Amino acid sequence: MASLPREQIGARLKAFEEKEVERILGACTQCGKCFEVCPMTKYSKVPATDGRKVVPGVLAVLRGERGTPEALGWIGVCTRSGSCVPACPESVDPRMMMRLARMTALGGRGLPAQILPKEDPDYFNRIRAFGRLQLTDDELKEWS
Amino acid sequence: MEKIAFWYGCNVLRHGDIIHACLDVLRGLGFDAAPAGGPDYCCGTVKDPNQTAAGGMATRTVGRFNAMQRERVVAWCPSCHSHMHDFMDRANERTFGMTYFVELLHEQRAKLKPLLRNPVPMRVALHKHVGFQELVPVNRLVPELLAMIPGLEVLEHEHVAPGYMCASFAGLPQALKDIHSGMVAAVRETGADAAVTVFHQCYRELCGLDAAGLAPVYNYMHLIAKSMGLAYEDEYKAWKKDPDAAAALIGPERIAKVGVQFYERAILPELRKRPDVS
Repeated sequence: MASLPREQIGARLKAFEEKEVERILGACTQCGKCFEVCPMTKYSKVPATDGRKVVPGVLAVLRGERGTPEALGWIGVCTRSGSCVPACPESVDPRMMMRLARMTALGGRGLPAQILPKEDPDYFNRIRAFGRLQLTDDELKEWS
Repeated sequence: MEKIAFWYGCNVLRHGDIIHACLDVLRGLGFDAAPAGGPDYCCGTVKDPNQTAAGGMATRTVGRFNAMQRERVVAWCPSCHSHMHDFMDRANERTFGMTYFVELLHEQRAKLKPLLRNPVPMRVALHKHVGFQELVPVNRLVPELLAMIPGLEVLEHEHVAPGYMCASFAGLPQALKDIHSGMVAAVRETGADAAVTVFHQCYRELCGLDAAGLAPVYNYMHLIAKSMGLAYEDEYKAWKKDPDAAAALIGPERIAKVGVQFYERAILPELRKRPDVS
């Protein structure tokens, strides 16, 4: 991987995500059923009641446009419950829709961030440190 | 003897006892299990804000597992398992089968049962989430595994948390508070001796309930290990229960491996953290 040109790193994943975005934008009828069954909507900073008004904002994020506050609020509280998947009458896979919208809104797909990413600079160092506390040097050497 | 890779993930490195117990179970079931994990085998799911990094990590990790030439990779972490299913292998060619650890135990339950020799006389309430079930129905499979332990009873209750595991709620304090309160209520209402988690991410969070004296908490692997007579110490819980004594429990040699300053800045605050169930 080290020999890959920088622009090729992650290119296959991004190509898959592009295809998924196209599929979702083509399939979603904005009926709002996914929003209605979501157990997390009550925790949104911008609560809403009508999914038919929130989902278009999610699709806007996927298109690279500015999402509505209600859509960004919902995207911000998605924790992948997946209750939306069987509720969707078009088999869109709204969990994938929300995950891609989250990546996009966080700036992960190369578009301007609309939600502030909360990255923990100690995240991996903390994991490595716990590894040093919990495993032997030989285990760490052989297993990672 | 089937050759597998045991992909334990990243954050479970807080719980060496769980990793070691899983390996003993796999070997007891007759698998040639090669452990692999840590940040160098990261699935990339934590990199939502940077898909260049996520894609690079996915390609690297799938490539490493391909190179191991094992028949299948058995994942411990639900995030790694679902990220492989949803993203990693949609963008990379993998040459190994994927199985979730609970699925493997359930598939091997006839062989597992005789290993569960020691009674664990407890009544427990399972900590459940809504998500992940369509990929692996752990809310059904784990109680079926626990029911094979002599003396152990899994009690029914209605509390099912949203999401698929507790760590995703780190930035959503009210939701986490509801989850913790609901779990404490489930333990009290059922008269359970303890709450039992499926995932280490939930165990890490709910361990605070134990430390705060609200409810004893275990991961299901702790109970399987206990029944098998495995004696790995749950050091994370011991440190969490007494953070002021944690440095002494860990000892200066291990503290030196991570550095005193890092321990005090990045580890001790996690050990001191207690759940809000007010």
